[in-house]
Formats: sequence, structure tokens, C-alpha cells
Amino acid sequence: MPTPTDADRTTNRAADRLLLEAVRHSVGRTAAICLVTTAAAGAALALPLVLGRALDAVLAGGHGPQAARWTAAAAALIGLSVLLDAIGELLTGTANARGTAWARTRLLRHVLRTGSRAADRFGTGDLVARLVGNAAYAGTAPANVAATLAAVIPPVGGLVALALLDLWAAAAFLLGMPLLAALLRVFVRDTTDSIAQYQRGQGEIAGRLMEAIGGAATIAAARTAGRERARVLEPLPELGRQGHRMWRVQGKSSARAVMVVPLLQIAVLAVAGLRLAAGELSVGELLAVSRYAVLASGIGVIVGRLNALVHARTAARRLAEVLAEPAMEYGPHRLPSGPGTLELSGVRARRGGRDVLRGVDLVVPGGTSMALVGRSGTGKSVLAAVAGRLADADAGTVTLDGAPLAALDHGSLRDAIGYAFERPAPLGRTIGGTIGFGPREAGPRRVREAARAACADGFVRLLPDGYDTRLTEAPLSGGETQRLGLARAFAHDGRLLVLDDATSSLDTVTELRVAEALVNDIGPRTRLIVAHRATTAARADRVAWLEDGRVRAVGRHEELWRLAGYRAVFEGAPPHAERAGEGEGVDEGARASGERVGRD
Amino acid sequence: MTDGGSGQGAGAAGTYGQGVRFLRRRARVVGRLAAWSVLETGQTFVMGFALARALDEGFLAGRSGAGLGWLGLAAVAVAVGAYGTRRVYGAVAALVEPLRDALVRRVVTRALDDADSAAVSRLTHQVEIARDTFAGLVMVARSFVFTAAGALVGLFSLAPVLLLVVVPPLVLGLALFAATLRPMARRQETFLAADEAIAEELGAVADGLRDITAAGAEDRVAGEAELRVEAEFRAARTLARWGVLRVLAVALAGRFPIVLLIVTAPWLLDRGVTPGALVGALSYLTTSLLPALQNLMHGLGASGSRLVVVVRRLTAGAAAKARPRTRDVPAATLRSGDSRPRPAVELRAVTFAYGEHARPVVRDLDLTVPEGGHLAVVGPSGVGKSTLAGLVAGLLEPRSGEVRVGGAPVQHGGDPARRVLIPQEAYVFTGTLRANLAYLRADVVPDAELAAAADAIGLSGLADRLGGPEAIVDPAGLSAGERQLIALTRAYLSRAPVAVLDEATCHLDPAAEARAEHAFSRRPGGTLIVIAHRLSSARRASRVLIMDGPQTLSGRHEELLLRSPLYQSLTGTWQPARSAGAPS
Repeated sequence: MPTPTDADRTTNRAADRLLLEAVRHSVGRTAAICLVTTAAAGAALALPLVLGRALDAVLAGGHGPQAARWTAAAAALIGLSVLLDAIGELLTGTANARGTAWARTRLLRHVLRTGSRAADRFGTGDLVARLVGNAAYAGTAPANVAATLAAVIPPVGGLVALALLDLWAAAAFLLGMPLLAALLRVFVRDTTDSIAQYQRGQGEIAGRLMEAIGGAATIAAARTAGRERARVLEPLPELGRQGHRMWRVQGKSSARAVMVVPLLQIAVLAVAGLRLAAGELSVGELLAVSRYAVLASGIGVIVGRLNALVHARTAARRLAEVLAEPAMEYGPHRLPSGPGTLELSGVRARRGGRDVLRGVDLVVPGGTSMALVGRSGTGKSVLAAVAGRLADADAGTVTLDGAPLAALDHGSLRDAIGYAFERPAPLGRTIGGTIGFGPREAGPRRVREAARAACADGFVRLLPDGYDTRLTEAPLSGGETQRLGLARAFAHDGRLLVLDDATSSLDTVTELRVAEALVNDIGPRTRLIVAHRATTAARADRVAWLEDGRVRAVGRHEELWRLAGYRAVFEGAPPHAERAGEGEGVDEGARASGERVGRD
Repeated sequence: MTDGGSGQGAGAAGTYGQGVRFLRRRARVVGRLAAWSVLETGQTFVMGFALARALDEGFLAGRSGAGLGWLGLAAVAVAVGAYGTRRVYGAVAALVEPLRDALVRRVVTRALDDADSAAVSRLTHQVEIARDTFAGLVMVARSFVFTAAGALVGLFSLAPVLLLVVVPPLVLGLALFAATLRPMARRQETFLAADEAIAEELGAVADGLRDITAAGAEDRVAGEAELRVEAEFRAARTLARWGVLRVLAVALAGRFPIVLLIVTAPWLLDRGVTPGALVGALSYLTTSLLPALQNLMHGLGASGSRLVVVVRRLTAGAAAKARPRTRDVPAATLRSGDSRPRPAVELRAVTFAYGEHARPVVRDLDLTVPEGGHLAVVGPSGVGKSTLAGLVAGLLEPRSGEVRVGGAPVQHGGDPARRVLIPQEAYVFTGTLRANLAYLRADVVPDAELAAAADAIGLSGLADRLGGPEAIVDPAGLSAGERQLIALTRAYLSRAPVAVLDEATCHLDPAAEARAEHAFSRRPGGTLIVIAHRLSSARRASRVLIMDGPQTLSGRHEELLLRSPLYQSLTGTWQPARSAGAPS
């Protein structure tokens, strides 16, 4: 068992490997950037000295060859700097763009192969942050690494040059530096406090706004939008006060910070002036000394550089964590022909440190339907996921027509098994696109037929552009979204259909129609149906009753109904109690099912 | 994302125009900023000038004391400049904070109009980006202008002829920079748009990972997302290429004068320019002008476009909104007189659709609810029950036909004095319980009335638990059902004669729902329309409307059981039944 620090070290190593890979991916560019920026820094370092010599030569002799030579050297050096800077800018920009695209693509491919595991582990918001922000940061790592050497040259070289030109001036610089730096240190705590206050004000307004948006319907009906606006904006003056305070604090700290370099430069100049008067320095050298003092005081640039590297590494770490999540591997085999018999044997699964499935054996004969029933938390959804290999079991096998799912190739597996979920994700750009969503989009006729079977055609045609309505412009209720998800499953062929609570938000009439379509219109498919309602279970050919991660009993609904424990499953917590607080997205059907259902 | 380029251009011009007007309205603040900036950049001038004098009259003339004196003066100027810096921040705050206020107001107003919860991210995130980039822009642009001015004045006072050498390349370089501004801003916008498109696309992918795996569409999704990544890569590469021009502009404006100065130095010395003046001039160029130029070009290039993009996004739509805005109306006051019996709610041949091409949700609907009547509306989900509620409340306008409430035609936005609508999502805000309950009343609600209403609806227990009318309610700490109780009591206290409950009791248990509905139906003179969440609501009503497209019918419960197959099927399945699993 690795200790946390071991895990840390492993991740760090993975992050470094990733950065190395990024560098290797554009090794030519990285090397070029290193070369160009280092050369540019060298030129910048040489310039004050050359400029000083040129000035001295001009002051000494005016138009002689000596003056011409130094002047030409200074001009050439400046020209070279410009050229190198331009090339460096171009190379850095393109390398960053390339690196970002590379990191993103790499991560995205992996996340897609990992599937919902990645989203479960990190949460979707965090995952997106890693794909967008962290990938961009990690992508700049090669250029950052390459330019590090160049960043070190001016301050260190400046200090060395200062010492070589005049030890006294260098001594003045070294003495003045810590004194002035002490000035900088006072205010850090001050700023964080004012920032915290400011953010509190922001949070206050955001919170009020969030409440008011939640009550939009009430506010529209009561026509109190103006009052609400005033209420939401009530903390704004205080926010403004905190904002002003923040600027004041920042002004105070910058006022001290901006003094450091000029004062240091003046101190060095004073010493250099005295040395000039003593005949130990030339005018040109004084010019160079003053310039080197400025370069040497840029020590902060190195810190900034190192910070950028640390950030890039942190970002790479966050990418490496995602990449460490194992992707789903597919086998080489194709699916043998058969009726779609699903067989699970000895299936075990752990989720969140808990054994959710503890040895499930189950056979669903081809073309028949089986309902999965059990209290919430008994592993119905995990079983549904494992049955179609959305996730792998920790032990045991799942076979379709005798072929283990894990040995099937990607195409065979996904073509053979269709899914519909309680909350289908709105993929594809339009309503039609989301129904037809798959490796190849289903044609419009197929989409319509599937929508009709899923009782979605009616409401789709009420939308502004029918099937072409963009998903972003179609606010759908939970039940409508479920019907689109069902239609998606219907629109693609297959042998096995897994409905994971996919009709829970439909009213009972619609659910009945969908159930009929499932038998009549969709063709003979094996169906595995996670069910909460007794009516749903009653319609299935057989029911598997799950309890504590095991199959408690398998049989027809009316047989099982004689068992008090089985009946209790349906009388337990009504679905709307589970859903309370979710508000939107759940339509009346879901709550209607809160009453006991059945036929007289 | 990238289409509509011309529209974007026009939008940008509009945003720039807004910016100019914004600054013009704050001429005094701008003046103050300029004054403090002069003080801040005074040191630029003094530094070069004092250095020249320190050399010429001090160190080179053998009077080291005078040299040190001039340098001491420069140090004083640095300290004074630092004070200027400090005050500059104050003036910048006086520009930036009002911008933030204006943006926050707009975002909030628009969010309330559109009920758009994405606005909260705009509020906390994008407004701050706008605030920071605007401040950065003001800082950089102003710093360049005054530093350049300080340096030029310094050069002039050292020797006017120096300007002849420095100014032409400076102007040329700035012109080159100005010429690149607009095309670069366009590229920057393309890049930002591409970046946003990626975030959006990847957000959808992350949300849909399970569905993508299930559909076996990994490769297709990766391919589509990679198109976006590729688009951003190309935009970034183009930007990098334009960056080269920026480097050249800086070189022309800031570095070429150094070359010129050293090349023309012999000639300048012949014209009486002193060695000290030459050193001072070089110091102006390398220490002041060049860094200011570099800051300007880096700052203006990227953050200028970012600010325009962000501000436009924050303010977009606010102006484009042409539909009549509903104005606030004073909370309901009691209507008196007018006691003729007449229908409380009347719909005549009402047709409504959600878009021009959409099939109507409600078609040719006639409906009358008498004063004091109690109507329940039932039907499958998505059939248009909430649409009906919206039409009665005046929140939706029929394509044709007429809706009358309390005898008068309903205008757009509806009249809160005539009807109260309680939607499914109960609105409770952080504030006292009293403020929440009296939300729809203009007058002060007496404690006794408050208590009676709470008792009628079934809120008393919760009210006591919260700590009475003056207790602060935290909506997040309440269950959905508790929030609905508060919303129901609020509506009960409203003086509007017609109450429309749009699944307003869906989070209550059946007994609590029955109690609330009874309370409303017993409200003196009160008319009640219930969009039913459970069939039991229909049993309690004096009339039932079953919505089922063309087969929409209304009648008493018993009538509908005979006439409507859908109603039969609904009651058949909705009815509580003990024998759910009995073999049929």
C-alpha cells in the first residue's frame, strides 16, 4: 500500500514524463527557442558595453575608424536583437499553440476511452477545467523550459558585468538591493484581506441573483422584476467601497515597489559618478554601469520564470492524474450470431470502497425482457452498466450469445448493445442530431420513426424548428429529455437494449405507449430494464429482484408479488422524495408515480 | 461561432463608441488621472535631465558635490513620482469601479429578464475580467502617453535637436503599431471565440461521457472536438505571426532611435550637444521609452480585444431586446364595488404556439371558470397545461383568440391585482419570513392575518420552527416542500381573486396538498385553477379540463369518466390500488 507521499511522487514523476513528452513532441522548436532566446539575451547583455564603448569613441575622437567600428557594432547588435526577438516571438507563440493542442488532444482521447469513470472520479466541471485551462498551461511548458536559460542571463550577467566594470558600483548595488527589497515586504497581508472582502461582496450579489433566477416564474407573474433588481443590487455600493479600498491598498504597495529600481540605479550612478570624477571610469562605462544595474535588478524575472515552470508542472500533474485513470480496452473478437442471450456469472463490483455487486448470476434469454428491481442502493444501475460494458466488473464474466463482452472489439460491442438512461446527455447539435447520435448519425427517417416509437414526435413538432431545433434553444423537461434518450436507443440496431430507469419521468400513459412500442415497433431485442414502478416490472417477461448486491429471486412479477419483501420494494421511499429539491427537469410523471400505481 | 464577422465588426465599433462615451461622461476623473500621471512620470523627465546635468556640471567638471546634488534631486523625483503612482490608483479606481457597477447592473437586469442562470458565472467571472483588463488598459495606455511625453520634454530641454533624431522613427513605429491594432484585434477575437467554443464543446463531452461510450461514438466525438482544437491552434498561430509585426513596431519606435543617436553622435556633438546630454538622451530611450513601448504593445494588443469581447458579451442582448418590457406594478390592493356575477376567467378560441413554424400547443380553446369556481387541469406531460396557466396569467400571448380575467382582457404581462400564479419552483428569498409572505402585498399585513393564512395552508409548524415572522429564512436550508408552503401562503395572502396553482404542490405529500387546495377553494370570492399534479386534485375540483390536443374536454369528474378514454386511463393508473400486482 503506497503512502500518500509515494502516490504524490508517482504523480509528480508522471507529470514530469508528460512534460518531457510535450518537449519531445516539438523538440525542434523547443531547441530553436532555447537557442534564439539565449542568443537574444546575450545580445541584450552585450549592448550596454558596446554602446558605452561607441559613446566613448565618439566623445574621444569624433569621426575616426575606432568610432565607426564601435558604432557599427552597436547598430548590428541592436539589429540582431530585433531579429532574434521577432523569431523568438513567432516560435514561442506557435510552440505554445502546438503544445496546447497536443496536450488537449491527448487528454481528450484518453478521457473518451475512459468513459464515465473519468467524470465520476473528477466531476465534470473539474474535468473540463483540466481539459481547457490546465492543458493550455501544460502546453506552454516546452517554450517556458526553453526560455529559462535566457531569463537567467540578464540579471546574473548584469551583476557580473557590473562587477567587471567597477567593483565599487557593484558593491553599491549589492548593498542597496536588500535594503530596498525590505521596503517591498510589508503589504502582502493587507491585499489579501481587501480581496477577500471584495469577493464576499461579489458572492453576496451572486447569491441573491441565483435565488431570484430560481424564482423567475414567480417574479414574472408578480411583475416584481424591478424590485428584485434593487434587492439583488443592494450590496453593490458596499462592493464598490471594497473595490476602492482594494485599489488604494494596491496603489500603496505599487508606490513602494516602483521606487526600488530607480533608487537602486541612482545609488549605482552616484558611485559611478564619483569614480568618473576620479578618472577611474569613462562616460561610456558610466552609461553601461547604469544600464547593468537595471538589468541586474531584474532578478524578479527569474522568480517569475520559475513560477511559470512550477505552474506548468502543477498543470501537468493534474493532466497526469487523469491519464493515470485506466482506459477501457477492447478485445479482438467479433460477435457470433445469436438471439442476444445475456449471461452474467459471478459478477462483483466495488464502488466508492463498497461492494455494490457481490456475485450476481443472471441469464436473460434472447428476445425476452427482464426487469431489475430493488431498493435504491442495491446496485441496479451498476448492474445495468456492467451488463452492457459501460463499466467493467471487478470479477466475474458477462457474455452476449456466449461471447465475453471484454473480448469483443469496439464496433461489435457498441453496435450490439443500446442504452437509454434516466438523464440522457444532450449530445449532437439539434434535436434530430441527439436522437440520431452514434458513430454514424442515423438518417432523418429513422430518427422520426424512433421518435414516434418513443412518444417524442409529438412534442418535437411543437418546437420552433421541429427536428432541426438546436438543443440550446429547446428547454426540455425531464420527461421530454428521457423520450429523446429512448428514441436515440431505438434509432440504432442491436441485440440488447438496457433501459436504466429510462422511463421514470414519463407519466404512466406515455410509459405504457413506450412499452408497447418496445414490443411491437422496435423488433425483437433482449431488454434489461431497471424499474421503480410495479407496472413496469409487471410488463417484463421476468423480474430479477436485487437485494444487497445479490439476486434475491427471479420470476414473474405476479409470482414475486406474493412476497411481502418484494412488495415493500415498491412501497418504500416514493420517487419524488428522492428527487425533492431537484426541482427543474422532473416533470409531473415522475411525481405522479409517487402514488401507488397499478390496475384495479 | 465564427460566422457573422461583419456583425462582430459593427459590434466592436459600438463597444468602442460606448467606451468613448463612458470616458467623456467622466471627464473630471480623467483630468484627475492625467494630473496624477504627470506627477508620477515627472521622474522620467527628471531622471534623464538630472543625469545629464550631474555629468556636465558635476562629475565631468570636477565638482562631484554638484553631481551628487543633481542625483539627489532625481531621487526626490522618484519619491514624488511614487506618491503620484499611489494617487493614480485612486483615479483609476474612480474609472474602473463605475464600469464594474454598470456591468453588474446590466448583467443582473438581463439575468432577471431571461431567467438565465449562466449569468451568475458572467457576474463573478467575466465582469472581473472586464474590470481587470480595463484597469490594465488604462494603466498601460496612460503610462505610455505620459512617459513618452516626459522623455520628449526631457530630450527637448537637453537639446532640441535631439528630437530631430528621436521623433521620426518613434512616430513611424507607432503608426505601424496602430495599423496592426485592428487586424490583430480581429485575430484576437477569433482566438477567444475558438477558445470559448472549445470550452463549450468539451463541457458537453464531459457531461456526456457515459452516453458517448454507450453509443460507441468516441471516435466521432473526438474528431469533432479536435476540429475545434485545430481551429484554436490555427487562430493562435496566426496571432503569433502578427506578433512579429508588433516586435518590429517596437524596434522601429524604441530601438532604432538608439542606433540613430549613436550614429549621429559626432554630428550632434558638433552642434553643441554635451556628453552629459547624450548620456541623458540614451538613458531616456533605454530606461523609459523602450519599456513603456513594450508594455503598451503587449497590453493593448491582447487585453484591448479581450475587453471588447467580454464587454460586448456582457452587454449583448440588452439593447437588442425589442419586445415590450413589462413594468413593475404596485402590489395588489383590494378592489371594491363591481359585484356583478360574471366569469372570473374566460378563454375564447385561444390558439398558442411557441414559434412561427411550431404546431400550436393550444388550439381554439374555449373555457369559462365562474367566480368562485374551482377547475382542475389534467393531461399527459408536455400537453400544454403550463402553457394554459401562462396564458391565463398573461405571461404568454395567444396567437389568436382572447383571454379575459375578471371581465377585462388580459394584457401582456398580466395584472397581479387580478390573478396570482404559483409556479412549480417556489420562490423563497433570503429575508424575513414576513417579507417572503407579504411579498405580493403593498400594505402592512397584520400578524393575525399572517397567522391565519399560515394556519389555513399548513405553514404554522414550519413558521414556528423558523422562529416566527421576523426570522430570517435561508431558502437553501428548506426542503422543496417547505418552500412550496411559503409560496402558497404568500399567494393566499395576495388580494388577487383568481389563483392559478401550476403544480405548486408537487413536493407536498397528498394530505398537505389537499389542505392547501381546500384553503384556496374556500378563500372568500376566490377562484381557483389547479394544474393537477395528482389525480386527487381533479377529484376535489368542481370541474375538470382534460387536455389532450384535439380531444381536449371539460366537465365534471363523473362526466369525463364516461366521455374521455384518456381520463379513464389516467384515473385507472393513477388511482391508489392495493392490488397492483394481482394477475389480471
